[in-house]
Amino acid sequence: MSQQPKIKVTFLIIAFSLAVVYGVKFLLGIMPQNTLSSVQMRAKGDKGAAIQITEFIDFECPACARGAEYLGRIMAEHPVGIRLELKYFPLPSHHHGFLAARYAECAARQGKFWPFHDALIARQPNWSRLTDATPAFALIAQEVALDPGRLEVCLNDKSVDALIQQSHLEGERRGVKSTPTYYVNGKMVVGVQSLEPELVRLLAEIKK
Amino acid sequence: MIGSLFVVSGFEKLIGPYQNFFYVIQNYSFLPLFLTEIAARLLPWFEFFLGIFLVLGLWIKWTLRAVMALLLMFMGAVIQALIRQLPITECGCFGGLISFPLPVILAFDTTVFVFAWFLSFRMPEAQCCSMDRYFAKNENA
Repeated sequence: MSQQPKIKVTFLIIAFSLAVVYGVKFLLGIMPQNTLSSVQMRAKGDKGAAIQITEFIDFECPACARGAEYLGRIMAEHPVGIRLELKYFPLPSHHHGFLAARYAECAARQGKFWPFHDALIARQPNWSRLTDATPAFALIAQEVALDPGRLEVCLNDKSVDALIQQSHLEGERRGVKSTPTYYVNGKMVVGVQSLEPELVRLLAEIKK
Repeated sequence: MIGSLFVVSGFEKLIGPYQNFFYVIQNYSFLPLFLTEIAARLLPWFEFFLGIFLVLGLWIKWTLRAVMALLLMFMGAVIQALIRQLPITECGCFGGLISFPLPVILAFDTTVFVFAWFLSFRMPEAQCCSMDRYFAKNENA
């Protein structure tokens, strides 16, 4: 009994399904991407560095904390080779993620983003377990000498939330699903485990 | 129903960057790097086409076996993650659509496996309203 018609239909279905998947990927790829202009205060490293990293971060994400520690170490070892820019991507599953981003952005607006970021990351195991992390963030703000008046105004400023949401939307449009997601010279790398070999490879290429 | 689940799960992974699923597999820490890369690129296609064939009722006998093999592999990955107490809070099974804790997904996969296994012994019922039955009728005509 010939199964040729069935085999032909099978190949047609496979071809049609492939067309649908690649068609959707193509359409998603040509959708306008809302690219935020770089804000100097959320970036560090030499602007002309050979390795440009954009990281989508959730401050409550433990993997992001490990990534931050790793990048801090690597950037100290290679001060002119790497530039890092952070973009906010608070995850819905992390209750304090959005608030942490709000405080971090307000610290950025007072030129103290990186000291605030470093303290947030270092103390993440503590504040992430709290029901209300506001006092912990306020304490960090005090320690990095943020102006309290300006901070309070900033925390109520709707443009801060809008910026965080816009950053999140940009990440979604670029296919970010989890944190940390890095774009290393434009190449998407998810997680610290994948970031390390990529950076090692690029740093070796720079040395040649 | 099983087919729809696989279609949605596979499709959601296929339309996004493969690096997301690569990261999910990496978290389970049971494959070497090169196999993780291969699995991240190929597994979503496998899921997607298995789902389509199940929905359409095409090559049901082989598709059900492949689905059961796939489910066994998923269950194995989850069980070893639970035993090793890996810090995985969400399974990553449906890409970014929805996510379940590992014990929930293990129960879910087991249920689907049992259902698929049961269906594999009840082919006439499994082939109801299927393209397999249509082609079988046409061959006999």
